[in-house]
Amino acid sequence: MAEQELVTIEINGIELQVPKGEMIIESAKRVGVDIPFFCYHPRLGKGQAANCRMCLVEAGTKQPDGSVRMMPKPQTSCSLPASQGLVVYTDTVAIQKARRGILEFLLINHPLDCPVCDRGGECPLQNNTLFYGPGVTRYVEDKRHLPKAFPISDYVVLDRERCIHCARCTRFSQEISGDAQLEFLKRGADMMVSTFQDTEFTSCFSGNTIELCPVGALTSRRYRFRARPWDMKSQKSVCTRCSNGCNIWLDYRPKRLVRVLGRENEAVNEEWTCDRGKFGHEYINSDRRLLSPLVRQGEKFVTASWAEAYQVIASRIQQAVRAHGADSVGAIGGAHLSNEEAYLLQKLMRVAIGTNNLDHRLERNQLAGGDTLLTRFGVPFTQTAIADIERAKTVFIIGSELVDEQPIVFLRARKAWYRFGAKVIIAYPEVTETELRFDEPVVLRYREGTEPVLVAGLLHLVLSSAEAGSRADAVWNSVSVYTPERVAEETGVSLDALREAASLLGEGTVFLCGGRVRNHAEYPTLVRTLCRLVEVTGNAGRANGGLNILLPEVNSHGAADMGVLPDMLPGYAPVGDVGARQHLERLWNVSLPAQPGLSSQAMLERAAQGQMQVLYIVAEDIAQKYHDPALAQRALENAGFVVVQDLFLTETAQYADVVLPAASVAEKEGTFTNTERRVQRFWEALDSPSPDVKPDLNIFAELAVYLGKPIPVFSAEQVMEEIGKAFPAYADCHYDQMPPEGIRWQALTRVAESREKATQLT
Amino acid sequence: MAELRVLFKDIDIPGIDTLDVCEQNGGYSALKKALGMTRQQVIDEVKASGLRGRGGAGFPAWIKWNGIPKDESQPHYVLCNADEGEPGTFKDRELMMRHPHQLIEGMVIAGYATLAKVGYIYIRGEYTEPARVLRRAIDEAYRAGYLGKNILGSGVDFDLYLHMGAGSYECGEESAMMSSLMGERGQPRLKFPHAPLPTIAGLWDCPTLINNVETLSCVPSIIRNGGAWYASMGTEKSTGTKIFSVSGHVNKPGNYEVEMGTPLMELLELAGGVKGKLKAVIPGGSSVPILPAEKCDVNLDYESLQAAGTMLGSGGFMVLNDTVCIVRFMRRTAAFYAHESCGKCTPCREGTRWMLKIFDRILAGGGRQEDIDLLLEICDQIDGRSYCGLGDAAAWPIRASIKHYRHEYEYFIEHGYSVVESKEAVTV
Repeated sequence: MAEQELVTIEINGIELQVPKGEMIIESAKRVGVDIPFFCYHPRLGKGQAANCRMCLVEAGTKQPDGSVRMMPKPQTSCSLPASQGLVVYTDTVAIQKARRGILEFLLINHPLDCPVCDRGGECPLQNNTLFYGPGVTRYVEDKRHLPKAFPISDYVVLDRERCIHCARCTRFSQEISGDAQLEFLKRGADMMVSTFQDTEFTSCFSGNTIELCPVGALTSRRYRFRARPWDMKSQKSVCTRCSNGCNIWLDYRPKRLVRVLGRENEAVNEEWTCDRGKFGHEYINSDRRLLSPLVRQGEKFVTASWAEAYQVIASRIQQAVRAHGADSVGAIGGAHLSNEEAYLLQKLMRVAIGTNNLDHRLERNQLAGGDTLLTRFGVPFTQTAIADIERAKTVFIIGSELVDEQPIVFLRARKAWYRFGAKVIIAYPEVTETELRFDEPVVLRYREGTEPVLVAGLLHLVLSSAEAGSRADAVWNSVSVYTPERVAEETGVSLDALREAASLLGEGTVFLCGGRVRNHAEYPTLVRTLCRLVEVTGNAGRANGGLNILLPEVNSHGAADMGVLPDMLPGYAPVGDVGARQHLERLWNVSLPAQPGLSSQAMLERAAQGQMQVLYIVAEDIAQKYHDPALAQRALENAGFVVVQDLFLTETAQYADVVLPAASVAEKEGTFTNTERRVQRFWEALDSPSPDVKPDLNIFAELAVYLGKPIPVFSAEQVMEEIGKAFPAYADCHYDQMPPEGIRWQALTRVAESREKATQLT
Repeated sequence: MAELRVLFKDIDIPGIDTLDVCEQNGGYSALKKALGMTRQQVIDEVKASGLRGRGGAGFPAWIKWNGIPKDESQPHYVLCNADEGEPGTFKDRELMMRHPHQLIEGMVIAGYATLAKVGYIYIRGEYTEPARVLRRAIDEAYRAGYLGKNILGSGVDFDLYLHMGAGSYECGEESAMMSSLMGERGQPRLKFPHAPLPTIAGLWDCPTLINNVETLSCVPSIIRNGGAWYASMGTEKSTGTKIFSVSGHVNKPGNYEVEMGTPLMELLELAGGVKGKLKAVIPGGSSVPILPAEKCDVNLDYESLQAAGTMLGSGGFMVLNDTVCIVRFMRRTAAFYAHESCGKCTPCREGTRWMLKIFDRILAGGGRQEDIDLLLEICDQIDGRSYCGLGDAAAWPIRASIKHYRHEYEYFIEHGYSVVESKEAVTV
């Protein structure tokens, strides 16, 4: 990128250099000058609305003779671009008067119900009035009266009387989320925010409008009247509702999570959250949480002490190992655990029990780390950083209802299109909500199950338009039979759409591959073909291009990194790799099983046949969420002994012999690795609902003691230090040195080098 | 004393709104002439004419024309502002109703000069009859090859579309008009220096020339007779002629085209003289400051009216005699702006409604003497603080009325009725 041109401007007599075109309201921050505003928001839209008129400043330009020619009217600093010689005054008597005037206008119709308003205490209108406003009003007429607070969705309450018409919410819904569900009705002083025909506000991003609202016009139904801002403490955390890893604030009172707010992280979620993230952490407060270990006695569960529970589990495991071998024990779960916990789970299984039977994957077609991406590109799942998606020239979305599945990745993809003009291709068997959020994307409506043919056809088209000498014959031979005509016939996609899509697949194409394709038996073929397509289009090594297998759960990536896989040790070292095994054996001071273990599918199939003695299910409700719930249920029924470790008495837990109560994400600390392999910390906010609820980390460590193979654990931080030794990609993830945006670990080519170094050191 | 007719020269010819009659009277001869000139020559002719925008602001037309990029890397547009919403103004209506081909010809010439292949006429939603006439005229022009592809074999293309507004005064403001035309809410957009000028990034972010109906209608005569001829009329800085829509207390209300710089009192005479005793004149539509009778000894051109504390505006020339209560009159004006404020900016949205409520209270007998200064302060808080001119336009007339007729306000507040009304008349 070219060096940005700097211009010299002057703010309140202070001369400074700023990038040309920077808005003055931002430049003022550089010299500590505070300019009040309501409607301004740096992330909204292509340009600012500049309609609240609160940020007025006096501006002029320096003339060659040194004098300053002032503009006749005050200017809105949020939309005034910096230019050479611009002179700005932000605090003249005229500006002070103008601000008082604006605030007086805003307040004439604003109800003064601050004492019962959720925004009270963190309200820009209150704050600005205090600092810049008139003390009294001269307004003696009737205030505007409109229906008071009424719900417009399950999450959002609208109070039109409080609205100051800043248009932040309407701009958000049109420009950022793209669902355009909020708009103004009427005009002038009668103007009001509304959904279309007062229908429900169904945006998946509606919670952001609550945070954007500078007054209490949009409030959260979940938070309404539950606390005042000064009653709460805030703790930094990471959302657990999908693999995007949004940064959030947990606002809490003693023993109770009160609300979730978006936390800024430019690399991940900017500042947005989806509604699932914002409103989906209520479970933490649930009074149905497990409060102590439960042990089955006949048909019933009875509460037990931890010692009793551990003893039962340890004796059953030891019995099983003695009688049937360690491979009669298996663990499923890990995608909801922190990295430290996932690491400890696999260590527990491999070291304390001596089996590789562990797996975190619940989908039918499981792409393990050792598959094509890792060998070709050195990364297991995703090549493109979330923040780099917005710089893509083309975004190719296949098999994903992105809005729902990967909301924050969707916002970046939409930004790429809306703000930077990227082209969008969407391949999905049905009409998706995602495709409605882009204007005329190229839609490839393939027949379910034909996705490998579709991608092969695109590869064929891309190759046949390339220069003849430049194509690799092996690749060409593999797809030469997939002529456009044949592909159109088989997939049901029109020739025109195929050709148009292929023509857009150049350098700078980000491929986003979602959950829908994972249901298909030929998923590995599809991924291989996509890898080729990425290579052929020159996107393998680009920042704004590449293949991305988007993952389902909060720590799917971390669990794979930590080796919660039957055939992979931490760091994707194959179980059969002697060198890698020896490295870990030295680190852990044990000998490790050399045979790959059973995948979750194999474990459940064996269990269903009564061949698994112990199933240890950690933080997964497989009876409901496994891709084949019937198999999972049969397995749970027929397994010799089932331990379930979770927050709730889930359907899976109903099959358990022992249930262990685990702490929620708000009650422990650790790290998650999001779908772009960014390692991010989360912190403890709440006390556990009962002293008998423990973080998974402690449970694994204590269970190891009862198994007679102690794994000394003092803290999550200490576990992370060990992870860094086991998998050098995590070597930089020291808790005390973790940058606020987290650490996105490098491709494994670099990791391989560092592993060699580590091996030499140990 | 007579009119000086340029735009209205042929307006009384029966059937001039049809193409045949129009052509017989020289219609489209200017287009033929323009197509024989270079684009820059056309712009230079407009420059020589000194033509200034007739929509209200009086901005020199040629600067806009010349500001359009001279390359065709993007599509260019010509947008004709026919959203004649200014109270007291009805000149564009007559121009479109009676001489539509003059406007069409002007637009094609403007399109040729600015490399635009597409033009839009954004016509006020209430103007169904002018729209019908225009639509028919556009069809005629297409059939005769004055519009469409390869106009008169010159290789120049120009398509013209008629777009009807939906009843918003604000959409007469050029940036709001562009929003509305593009299907957005009819609200103004950021302006220079916050955003590029429309001549650089207007409709769909492409270079767009926006002129008023009257401005574009002047173009054919200027091309036909030369810019110098046009500049020979009027004053040095305000050249040519101007149509005034005279309404109110005159004997012969209507549109009168006079030379720029004509004394105001002569226009009153043209309109048949004042009914009763002249109290005040609002020379340029309801947005401009009121001009009391004693100051009416002024010439009608941009500079003279500005010097007199008012503006030429759109030429909506409203005449008030001494039966008019200024407070009631201003209440009506305030109601108009409160109704038409688009709601985008705080000062205009809240301020206009507040002023209306104060007026209503005064008229209901609940006025307080401090309300007068409060009105002035509200005007100060609106003026210059909002996006577009609507806020300013709401403030100026009220401020001017208080300046010139403060005693009427004081009287009304004190007595609960107007100085011009007898107590009996009110109580009946």
